[in-house]
Amino acid sequence: MTARHEFNRRRFLQGSAAVAGGLMLPASILSACGDDGGSGAALKLARPDKPVTLPTVGDAIANGLSHEGGTLQILNYVDYLNPDVLARFEETYGVKTAVTTYDTEEIALNKLRSGAYQPDLILGLTESVLPRLVAADLLQPLNKSYLSNFNNVIAGLRDPYYDLGAQYTVPYIIYSTGIGYRTDMDVDTSYFDSGNGWDILWDPAYSGRLGILDSYRDVIGSVLHRNGADINTGDQKVLDTVLADLQAMTAATNPKIDILAYTEIPAGTRVVNQCWSGDMLLGVWYLPEDAGWDVLGYWQPDDMVTGNDLFCVTSKSSRPVLAHEFINFFLDVDNALENFGWTGYQPALEALPASTLIEWEYVPAGLENALITPEQYAAGNRGVALEPEVDARWTDVWAAFTAG
Amino acid sequence: MRRNSDGQWLWGLLAGPGTTWLLLLFALPFYGLACMAFGEIDPIFRNAVPAWNPLDWQFENFGDVMHEILFGSQRRVFVRTILYVASAVVLSFLVGYPVAYYLARHAGRWRGLLLALMILPFWVNYLMRMLAWVNLLQVDGWATRAFSAFGLQYNWLDGKAITVVLGLVYGYVPFLVLPLYASLERLDVRLLEAARDLGARPGHAFRMVTMPLSRPGMMAAGVIIALPMFGDYYTNDMLSRSPRTEMIGNQVDFYINGTSQPQKGAVLVLVLSAMLVVFMSYYLVSTMRMQRELQA
Amino acid sequence: MNPLLRRNPWRRPVVLATWTWLYVVWMFVPVIIAFMFSFNGGRSRSVWQGFSLRWWTEEPNASLLHDESLHTALRNSLVLAILTMLIATPLGVALAIGLARWRSRVAKGANWLMLVPLVTPEIVMGASLLLIFSNLYTGVPLGRPAQLLGHVTFSMSYVVVVSRGRLLSIGRDYEEAARDLGATAIQALRMVLLPLLAPAILASFVIVFAMSIDDFVISSFLSSGAASETVPVRIYSAVRTSSTPALNALASFLVISSLVALALGMVGMSVYRRRRGDDSDGESVLTEFAKFEM
Repeated sequence: MTARHEFNRRRFLQGSAAVAGGLMLPASILSACGDDGGSGAALKLARPDKPVTLPTVGDAIANGLSHEGGTLQILNYVDYLNPDVLARFEETYGVKTAVTTYDTEEIALNKLRSGAYQPDLILGLTESVLPRLVAADLLQPLNKSYLSNFNNVIAGLRDPYYDLGAQYTVPYIIYSTGIGYRTDMDVDTSYFDSGNGWDILWDPAYSGRLGILDSYRDVIGSVLHRNGADINTGDQKVLDTVLADLQAMTAATNPKIDILAYTEIPAGTRVVNQCWSGDMLLGVWYLPEDAGWDVLGYWQPDDMVTGNDLFCVTSKSSRPVLAHEFINFFLDVDNALENFGWTGYQPALEALPASTLIEWEYVPAGLENALITPEQYAAGNRGVALEPEVDARWTDVWAAFTAG
Repeated sequence: MRRNSDGQWLWGLLAGPGTTWLLLLFALPFYGLACMAFGEIDPIFRNAVPAWNPLDWQFENFGDVMHEILFGSQRRVFVRTILYVASAVVLSFLVGYPVAYYLARHAGRWRGLLLALMILPFWVNYLMRMLAWVNLLQVDGWATRAFSAFGLQYNWLDGKAITVVLGLVYGYVPFLVLPLYASLERLDVRLLEAARDLGARPGHAFRMVTMPLSRPGMMAAGVIIALPMFGDYYTNDMLSRSPRTEMIGNQVDFYINGTSQPQKGAVLVLVLSAMLVVFMSYYLVSTMRMQRELQA
Repeated sequence: MNPLLRRNPWRRPVVLATWTWLYVVWMFVPVIIAFMFSFNGGRSRSVWQGFSLRWWTEEPNASLLHDESLHTALRNSLVLAILTMLIATPLGVALAIGLARWRSRVAKGANWLMLVPLVTPEIVMGASLLLIFSNLYTGVPLGRPAQLLGHVTFSMSYVVVVSRGRLLSIGRDYEEAARDLGATAIQALRMVLLPLLAPAILASFVIVFAMSIDDFVISSFLSSGAASETVPVRIYSAVRTSSTPALNALASFLVISSLVALALGMVGMSVYRRRRGDDSDGESVLTEFAKFEM
């Protein structure tokens, strides 16, 4: 390895441990119809080919205000921000930040609605809860005059179908769901060459050394994708098949269910693990010192299931201007790059496409395909937000699967 | 007589706040759980809306979950939970009874120290004690390596029932030893002496005198560790986290904390409580009886 | 009687003694090893890589001394335990006195109600509290306020049981003597009963503190995220993600805090006893605590 490599590896790995996160299956939009989304109105699903303008609730802040100072309350997915970048934000603006984390989107939504969480800024939620956030009057429209870096965002996401005009949201990172594996431990990569790499999750050869994500949407979505079914299906028969498949998986490979691919694969205690694209990039940091970092591999289907997480400002924020400044700060290319080095998740910025990150050697050789090119992103297999009844069916399938 | 009655207002006043607290934060929430289990679903947010008036209760959700418990996937979870708890309680007795017996009868000059050591685990956080085992049982952990030296090549954290059951034993046995010790210590030694004077051999005396006399204490101690085991999910999560070892608590945790269907979790909790009510009543009645004996 | 038999009537304790000491080893060695690993030089929690203070003090962001999020967890645990102790103890002591003296149907009912939390699995209490706080008592935000209410609820009954034991052994004679000498009911309570209850009150403080510190389920169900994470909640979530020996340091620190609280309680108890002229050694103080734990 060249010195430059090592240097960049260190840069890439700077900071300390991070937990990968984010939910897969980006959702398309639900548009509220009927009255303003008050109780009783049904939320209707729209597909990517039916973009939605979210209903306007409340006003954006006025132009030209100076920020409020004080402490910015941030609600974030677990360890999903580089503390060094955060510290520099505090320094730059002479403010403090307090980060609260959430485990799942459902919990976050419930706690936001009950008032248990009262953040100024939310970071990491996906489109699947967006319409409900808006319907519950929890978000405020953004004022782009504070977001001078907004044009750094990937072109295709400046006017996203789930929030036409990007009224409420700015994309934070993009990701896909696939399979991480060891290249040096006799993993049969022909599964990945043949196209349907998901099948490896049922190969008894990896029993006890295999894991899947602790996320019902990702797991059921992947099995649906493997079966060639609609990855957002609400069809009970199709879902019953998924349950049977999952139970067969338990019998064949006894998968671990957690989000630890980024530590377990590098440690070698697992050789195959369903994971998010950021996990293997992050995993480099967890490799034992004597291991070369080409031992990590990542596969994702050609018609990848991709998505992006969001920045949102809450309607009751007491520091909306500072929240805008925060978003703008993270849309800055250098800051985003440094944040990427810690979280392992790809910023949704035009200036940092996969090719650039590879060229700058921010990504170890062999893991290039853990990055998502703009073309791949655009062609990605979009999951949509599930209707409540469908979501209930999915959770029941998951409960039955985990019941063993 | 006079005095007994004229202090009454004071006693009522003293008992008032605590009683009100328990009504508002223990009894009413439990009722709320039922209202949730029998409530309705908000059409947009899909969260359960509790029905506070029993006349409005709907039974569809309850029926769905009951069906799963009786015939579906939840049945496996319930059966497994009962088996695990039963095994863990029996093992806890095998481990803990001799310890309590030694402490009550033979510890001699070590008694003070041993008693301190028996109380000490209460002061070591439960989660820390589990964390300790998780570290030891890793593939490269010390316990795993020690076991493999004896030819026991085992991935202990790989969804093994035995790991979960032993974890429960390790976690809860201190809660068994102390009450057992208390009940054994209370036994009248003269009864044993009498048995011995009448010619009973030690084993015989133990079976005929000690065991029967300590039975109420044993029952109470068994119940007091079985109850929390039935609701335990964290021991399992830390040591296994596999569909092969899923217990009721894990399903409750999933439905209440991880989904937008808390009403299903509420039904599971209600059914679990109904199952445990026998044990709970046994413990309460025997406690009340003991209390009355003490008062007399 | 044969003196040999007298001295050694049913003594055959070698096996039992061995078993008991093995039990002690089994109970404590894993915890001691976990403590030891907080001093590990590497980032593994299972493979020893040499001694260092890295995870206690040295690591600039990730050590117990420097990681803000670990401080938050510690602070939450300790503040919650102290507040719970200060609220649950007076409530429980008053309830115990009230129930022991009050003759009414309400008292009988309250007596039963008070016992039920002792046998209710935590998950039942945690689930019902979470649902009530998010649906009825919406004015109580999740996080420390809700956690505090929950902790007081599950620990109050222990205070009642502890105090009641003491009340029974005190009996009513002192109080009646005071009343005969002209004290009002309140005076008798304040000047006679409460001082006599002091050991139970002290023990309650210590026990409630320990229970609150040890609690995982209620704290977890009623938490509102990282800001209200307690140490057990942190351990639980960190075991599932990857974490460094700083986690062991955090857990060890909490155990040390609990032991300090226990030691303070014991010192308090012996001071109290000495002042009252009981001669007591550490063992009898411990026995006292042991009795309360049951």
